[in-house]
Amino acid sequence: MSKRIAFWIFLIGTLSSSALFLFLTFDTQRQVEALSHADRIDDRVIAGKRAFQKYNCNDCHTILGFGGYYAPDLTRVIRRVGAEGVRYRVTDPGKAFANGWRKMPNQHLAAAEIDDLAAFFTWVDGIENGDWPPQDSRKRLSRAGERLVASAAASPGAAVFQTRGCMSCHTLHGAGGTFGPVLDTIGARLSAGQIERYVQDPKTVNPKANMPAQTGLTDREREEVARFLSSLK
Amino acid sequence: MEFRSQKIAYWYFVAALPLFLLQVVLGLWLAVNYTFTVPQSVVDVFPFATARAFHTNLLVLWMLLGFMGGTYYIVPEETRSEIYSTALAYVQLVALLLTGVAALVGFAFGWTKGRPLLEIPFPLNLVVVAGALIFLFNVGMTMFRAKRWTVIQGTLLGGLVFLAGLYLFGIPFYRNLVIDWYYWWWVIHLWVEGAWELVTGSIMAFILMKLTGVDREVVEKWLYVEIGLFMFTGVAGTGHHYYWIGAPSYWLWVGGVFSALEPLPIMLMVIDTMQHVKRRRTRIVNPLVWTYAIGCSILHLIGAGVWGFLHTLPQINYYTHGSQVTVSHGHLAFFGAYALLNLTTFYYAMPKLQGVAVFDDRRGRIAFWTMCIAMMIMGLTFGVAGVLQSYIERVLGMGYMTAQSYMRLWMGVTLFAGVFFLSGVVLAVTDLLSLRPAKVAATKV
Ligand code: HEM
Ligand SMILES: [Fe+2]
Repeated sequence: MSKRIAFWIFLIGTLSSSALFLFLTFDTQRQVEALSHADRIDDRVIAGKRAFQKYNCNDCHTILGFGGYYAPDLTRVIRRVGAEGVRYRVTDPGKAFANGWRKMPNQHLAAAEIDDLAAFFTWVDGIENGDWPPQDSRKRLSRAGERLVASAAASPGAAVFQTRGCMSCHTLHGAGGTFGPVLDTIGARLSAGQIERYVQDPKTVNPKANMPAQTGLTDREREEVARFLSSLK
Repeated sequence: MEFRSQKIAYWYFVAALPLFLLQVVLGLWLAVNYTFTVPQSVVDVFPFATARAFHTNLLVLWMLLGFMGGTYYIVPEETRSEIYSTALAYVQLVALLLTGVAALVGFAFGWTKGRPLLEIPFPLNLVVVAGALIFLFNVGMTMFRAKRWTVIQGTLLGGLVFLAGLYLFGIPFYRNLVIDWYYWWWVIHLWVEGAWELVTGSIMAFILMKLTGVDREVVEKWLYVEIGLFMFTGVAGTGHHYYWIGAPSYWLWVGGVFSALEPLPIMLMVIDTMQHVKRRRTRIVNPLVWTYAIGCSILHLIGAGVWGFLHTLPQINYYTHGSQVTVSHGHLAFFGAYALLNLTTFYYAMPKLQGVAVFDDRRGRIAFWTMCIAMMIMGLTFGVAGVLQSYIERVLGMGYMTAQSYMRLWMGVTLFAGVFFLSGVVLAVTDLLSLRPAKVAATKV
């Protein structure tokens, strides 16, 4: 091989790959409008993105899988914990993560900034990105949903526990949140009646309880979830 | 040292070395954060995010200073002329260092753009751009004035212009997060798998040519083929970062196919280094430089080629994306390709810049093996943590922190290996700043 041929390898290699890349870039720019639902990007969403950058959230958390790997991915955070969950964690991380072994800084965000963040995350949640990340994917949620339907007849209480937000704070057998205690064997400590009272108003059972009263549950739901939990011994 | 202005390189290297050390110290602090519980009061003042911005920006800064110093060393010899303006070169060095200091102090007080690896705020971007323009002007003028064109310096200049141009895409505020990441990778990927590879190819070709005495014709022919393959696979290969960002799904094919070929030019570089060394026409004067050069080519292949290939196919990347697997690859690749390239350059040029013909290489040798072994261990421990994370969090779907609790042990081992690595860095940095003539040189003949 002569130097001349080598030169042509360089030139053709560079130009062909670059031409393909630039063409696809042009097409991607166009298609991303639809794939990301760019029409939903309003001032709130943009303000939320600015807040996200201002507080350097992205150097601990990944989003769309990029950034620091020190804290959970935020692509589907709205699906996972809801806007309320975001607000709770950002407002007072010291309290929210008091039981955790990894901490998040309190950066004293204004309430409006947190609302903007939630708007931003809500928009991000809608990005059609091949159902990544797997742990929060629709595929997994629908599988979990099927299991739930199958088990709801056998144990309505378990269904309440899974669908009414208990799991954003509590863990059962390894799945769920970490703010509240693990409830794997709660039935050994509390009776159904005690659990029911606790869920309705935690402070009447334990004045120092951090858990908010679950006022959103119907009497029937509260009764079922208490019966279910008291069976876990 | 044949040309007086090559001395500029010395000050770039002197500036780069302590920054390397500081980068690694901050890396250890990050590992502490993963292994132990840092109290809320400390986290509120100096969060992980700030330390990570320090760690990564220091990496980029010291490596760019190393490349620039290397350029100022090589260009006079290639053009057979002095650098256009020594004064400009020093102005540029001071500007960059001041930017670096301002950026770090700024980060500590929350002055940040908040985009990973590109945290430097807008006003500092402008100083960086000005510095880059001065640099390119200075180097370009030297070449134009000399009117002596070689493939090595052409590649070097081309790579540097490409590098500087890409930086511009990292500066604006993007309203759409998808587009934001799309162009973020124009900086990050097209740097490390494009522009920086051109710079590396060129510097490596220069050093190998000087060390081995192999004909320029042969060296430059291989250089053309290598950079051609780097550009062919690397440019369209950017698509391996576009799988899960909300870009069209053809990127799964384009990214997967092109990036799967990326190890080829790296392999070629290893083969061609070995060939040159085997066919050398000159005596080995400072064997340690050879050790670093060969170590660089091999670890470049392992860290970038093999480790990159392992998770570049979409079917695998779906589970490993944004996990400690990424971290394992990032460390092995940056160390193998670019830290070792810089250290090779330093070990090649520093003896000449300090006027030591044959240097005592015992410290440098221990440093080489310490760093390489420690980094391989870190690659493995990050890797184990990453596989655990991919399986527990992504396949089983258990919580993020549940996975982290299983990974914690391995992050602790990484911290331990990191201390070992740091000792190697301390040794290398001290050694390079105070090279001593070898005592045995006279008896060797
Ligand atoms: C010397 C060259 C290289 C360096 C310095 C390097 C460095 C890095 C770094 C630092 C990241 C993480 C960026 C981030 O998300 O924050 C990364 C990601 C990645 N690299 Fe490389 N890389 C190199 C070459 C390669 C090659 C040759 C391949 C493929 C064959 C490759 C495949 C990948 C992939 C697939 C990812 C994405 C990981 C994920 O999805 O999280 N890299 N690289
Ligand atoms: Fe890449």
